Amino acid sequence: MNIGELLATAANLMATGMVGVFVFLSLLISAIVLMSKVASRFEQPIDIPARAPSIKAQGVPDAHIAAISAAIAQYKNKQKL
Amino acid sequence: MEALLNLWHATGIANFTFPALIMIAVGCLLLYLAIARNFEPLLLLPIGFGAILTNIPLAGLSDPGGLLYYVYHIGIDTGVFPLLIFMGVGALTDFSALIANPRMLLLGAAAQFGIFATLFGAILLNYVPGFEFTLQDASAIAIIGGADGPTAIFLASKLAPDLLGAIAVAAYSYMALVPIIQPPIMRALTTPEERQIKMPQLRTVSKKEKIIFPLMVLSLTILFLPAATPLVGMFCLGNLMRESGVVDRLSNSAQNEIINITTIFLGLAVGSKLAADKFLTIETIGILVLGALAFSIGTASGVFMAKGMNKFSKSPINPLIGAAGVSAVPMAARVVNKVGLENNPHNFLLMHAMGPNVAGVLGSAVAAGILLALVG
Repeated sequence: MNIGELLATAANLMATGMVGVFVFLSLLISAIVLMSKVASRFEQPIDIPARAPSIKAQGVPDAHIAAISAAIAQYKNKQKL
Repeated sequence: MEALLNLWHATGIANFTFPALIMIAVGCLLLYLAIARNFEPLLLLPIGFGAILTNIPLAGLSDPGGLLYYVYHIGIDTGVFPLLIFMGVGALTDFSALIANPRMLLLGAAAQFGIFATLFGAILLNYVPGFEFTLQDASAIAIIGGADGPTAIFLASKLAPDLLGAIAVAAYSYMALVPIIQPPIMRALTTPEERQIKMPQLRTVSKKEKIIFPLMVLSLTILFLPAATPLVGMFCLGNLMRESGVVDRLSNSAQNEIINITTIFLGLAVGSKLAADKFLTIETIGILVLGALAFSIGTASGVFMAKGMNKFSKSPINPLIGAAGVSAVPMAARVVNKVGLENNPHNFLLMHAMGPNVAGVLGSAVAAGILLALVG
């Protein structure tokens, strides 16, 4: 193959390649969007009842609660003295 | 006397050839860059040492029967090492930024133009006397623009094993040079106002989405581009181990022990390809030039794509993040963050740049698959 033909093939490859990459990743975009929609639909009914009853589930770790309780106890003790 | 003479002939000093000495110097230069300059030390150190080992006269480390010969054939000829590394990279990658804003995949796609433009450039270089790149060679060189070491090594070992040493060294050197190559291009193509654009905060991504994501990527690859499944498959396996949360031990091994052990031998094996007769050619200079070109074009096309998307998008997009589309995780994203902070010290772009950054990894794996399918 001479250089001219190689160049033509390379140009062709450039066009096919870029189209290929864009098409593939665009498909992936639509797939992700679709997945997020479906996932969020399944998420809500499970999440809401789980969160409502307990105070702990609001994201305060036990260690923090322990630390705060200890601090309050200490403060109260000091007040007594 | 004869015994003494024989002993002399068995020394390295009596057997050095000038090209081998130059290659040992190249190995030392790589060691210097790794140790003193901290340029991709994890790879350049074993590569540099491999280059020294392979050029030792009489030891024959890279001849059939030598250690480096076996390491190369077991790990790189078969494509196993880059794939193991890809599994580790998958286990190290967090896709939440991309799942939260999937349009960033377009930036990862645009930056792959660096690869395909360089392919054309490599063939164009054939007009210069001394260069005779075939389409396979050109594709393997072009993948340097993917800014992804394992992908470059994987593709080069399949398409142009003779050029592998130069391609791997160019790929890793330029990845180390990302903080130097990219910012001038990014500044030249954007206005200060554009660089100050703030982007809305990303939503949180549920665990379910993160688990489904690798499986979905794999399914799409199986359906549309099976040639890319070795790379994408291992990547998705690593990512699924990470996100599923049930195999932390395996995920940790993939992220640490496996990737580290593989990196040592991958580096040595790549270094063993830095033999004088293969490396000291005019082609190597061409590969180094084309590699820099590939990086620059990839960066520029990513930025242009981001500018275009900013015009048509409802939520603002800072054009700088397009530059992160050339994988090089996480260096490119850090560079974006740094250039963004120069213009607005309160504008942190790191998380936004991680989206195109990991999209770039997928994009270059897809581009490698396309090249394998069309040229291989």
